[in-house]
This record gives sequence, structure tokens and C-alpha cells, in this order.
Amino acid sequence: MNKFFLEIITPEKTFFRGEVESVNIPSIGGSCTILAGHQPMVFATEPGSLLITADGVTREAFMSEGFVEVRPDETVAFSEAVEWPEDINERRAAEARERAEEQLRRNRSAAEYRLNRAALQRAFARLRVKNHNHME
Amino acid sequence: MADVAEIRHRIKSIEDTHQITKAMELISVAKMRKAMLKHQYSAAYFDTVRYTLKDIMRHSTDIRNKYLMHRPDTRTAYIVIAGDKGLAGAFNSNVLNLAWEHMQKRPVHYVVTIGQMARAFFESKKQQVDLEFTHAVTNPTLHDARGIMRDILELYDRNLMDEVYLVFTRMYSTVKHDPQMVKLLPIEEKDIQAEVKTTYSGEIYYDPSPKEVLNVLVPQYLTGMIYSALIHSSASEHASRMLAMSNANKNADKMLEALNLDYNRLRQGAITTELLDLSSGRFSQS
Repeated sequence: MNKFFLEIITPEKTFFRGEVESVNIPSIGGSCTILAGHQPMVFATEPGSLLITADGVTREAFMSEGFVEVRPDETVAFSEAVEWPEDINERRAAEARERAEEQLRRNRSAAEYRLNRAALQRAFARLRVKNHNHME
Repeated sequence: MADVAEIRHRIKSIEDTHQITKAMELISVAKMRKAMLKHQYSAAYFDTVRYTLKDIMRHSTDIRNKYLMHRPDTRTAYIVIAGDKGLAGAFNSNVLNLAWEHMQKRPVHYVVTIGQMARAFFESKKQQVDLEFTHAVTNPTLHDARGIMRDILELYDRNLMDEVYLVFTRMYSTVKHDPQMVKLLPIEEKDIQAEVKTTYSGEIYYDPSPKEVLNVLVPQYLTGMIYSALIHSSASEHASRMLAMSNANKNADKMLEALNLDYNRLRQGAITTELLDLSSGRFSQS
């Protein structure tokens, strides 16, 4: 299978760098798989899971809001937070979920609703990635 | 002429101050390095955010986004970033005066301060501070920047202001840091500083649409701008403090040298007189 260079960058660090066969991203329009030779494109992503396949092994990671830039020479994913399952703090994510649910029930303004919905989305995505544990 | 005890006392007190300024200089060096390092990590990320945003704005001019729309510019909000502490040369007054001068030209303005020195300055000028952020200066984090961004956007959404300016000190090198003012909102293409990378010259497609990508980018762009301003400001503060303290150290060394000379001369003088007294007493006895 053809490979391409993938780089995943967060403001704190470079999360991933290397040759991969495919990467599945949580794009806003729905989950999307990028293979080598993809058309140059920029995807906006929502909080969800990122599936990286390198050397036949697929690993899942949590990816927060961000965007993915597909260039002819490499693909770069940018997000404020990207985490491997082992780095996700399950208790914190569960707490965040409860907090967001509670806030959503109160529902004060449209802006707040959007913020809380995004927070809830992040919490759900983190918990999902943590409990999946794609390590086959 | 001062007596020996007095000079000894002064030497002691200058030595104590010297020790403090020396420690402060070392701490500032370490803190400045740390801030620069932090900036390096995030720079790659936010550079790309800026670049992509600029690219979208250049290619799709028909996008309507409320943060890109120009409003009549009469109500201006200033986010002023200064330090929490003084003793950093002209660092605080430079940036605060720049903000103050610009404010006088605007009929309606709001002031958002970050850092205690900024708040104290506007209070002394009898300028009401509308919003204040604390704890963001000493150790700026992305979390702080995000919080500030959220609050500012909320005020902007409620149509309380037409433009938002960010006033901070940009660090060019350890010896050069100048106060600077950048426009945060509304976002204009010409205000975005990003060098265009020419790795790919063809048109790039945006999924699901340029508008959606822009919606994701705008908050990140603002967070990045605020974060980098906070870091620049904190690095500049430490750099100015480092310079101020190294000057203080030099002065202290000079003063100590002069005082030590005086002290030795006086002490030697005292010994000589004492010896003279002793010997003359001895001679008169025999």
C-alpha cells in the first residue's frame, strides 16, 4: 500500500510524525479516510476519534476541534488536543460530561448552548476512545 | 567625613540589595528562556492557522462571517497586557502609554486589562476598567488564552464594541522589545501576518465548505493571537527585568567599590591615629 507522510500538531507538541498508510479523521461532514495521493484539501474536524494506520497497525486517538490540511507532499492535522487512549483521564472526561449535561439542561443562550454542546462532544469522544482501546 | 560604622552599614545594605538584584536577574533569565521555549512549540501551530485563514480569505471573498464584517468604528475595546510587578525598567510604562495615547482619539472605548500594573495605571488615570483578567500574566497557558478569547467574543457578539485592539509588548530579541498594537476584530486579511508558503500553488478545496472551515479557524486564530501576545509580553517583561537588574548589579558593584575604598581609607586613618596616640603616649612616659 502506498504511504504518505502524516504530521499531527497541537499547540503544545508534535503529537505524531511518520509514514502512514491511511488516516481516518472526524470531519464535520462525516468521518473521512485519507489515503496516499489524496487531492489537496482542508477539512474542518469536530471532536471525535482519529484512526491512524501505519505498517498494518491501526491505532485510535482522540482529536478535538481542528482542521486537517492535505498537501501534495504531506498531510498535517492541527488540533488543540490530540491524545492516545492511555493519556486520557477517564475520570476527568466523565466529570466534564456530567458538567456539560448539567449546563445543557439550563440552556441560557444560543452561544452557551454551542459551547456546552462542543464540551459534551469532546467528553463523549474522549470516553469512546478510552474504552475502545484499538490495539490489535 | 562619615565614620567607619556608618560606611560599614551602607556597605552591608548595598550588599543585601545586590544579592536580591542578582537573584532577580538569574530568575528572569530562566523565566524568559522558558517563555521563549513555550512560544516555539505553539508558533508552528498558530502560524499554520493564520496562514490557512489568510488563504481562505484571499480565495473566497464572498464569505460572510460576523467576525470579518466591518462595523462603524466608533466603539473600540482595548485589551492591554502589562506585567503583574514593576522593577522591569520602562516595560510597563511603555506599553501602557501607547494604549493610553491611542485611547484618547476614540470617542467610546472600553478597557480590558491583563496584569495588575495595567489595572493600577488606568485607575490612577481615572479610566474605568471594564474587564480584568488576573493570573494570566505570570504563567500564560492556552487555557487562559481560550478563556479570554471566549469572554471577548461574547462581548463582541452582544454588539457592545466595533473593534478590538490588542496592546502588548512584542519581543524581538533579549535587548529589543517594543510595545505594539494589533487589531484583533474584525479580522482583516491585511492584519494577518503570515508568510505565504509556496509548496502548493493550485487551488485548495475546503471540506465541507470554506465557511465551515473558517468557523473552526476563527476562534483558534484569536486564541493563538492572544496566547502569543501573552507569551511575548511575559518574555519581554522578564527580558526588561533582566536588563534592569543587570544595570542595578553594575551600579551596586561600582558603589561597593567606592565605598570599600572609603572604608579602607578611614580604617587605615583610624589605625594610624591610634598608633600615633600610643607611641606619643609612650614617648612622653619615658
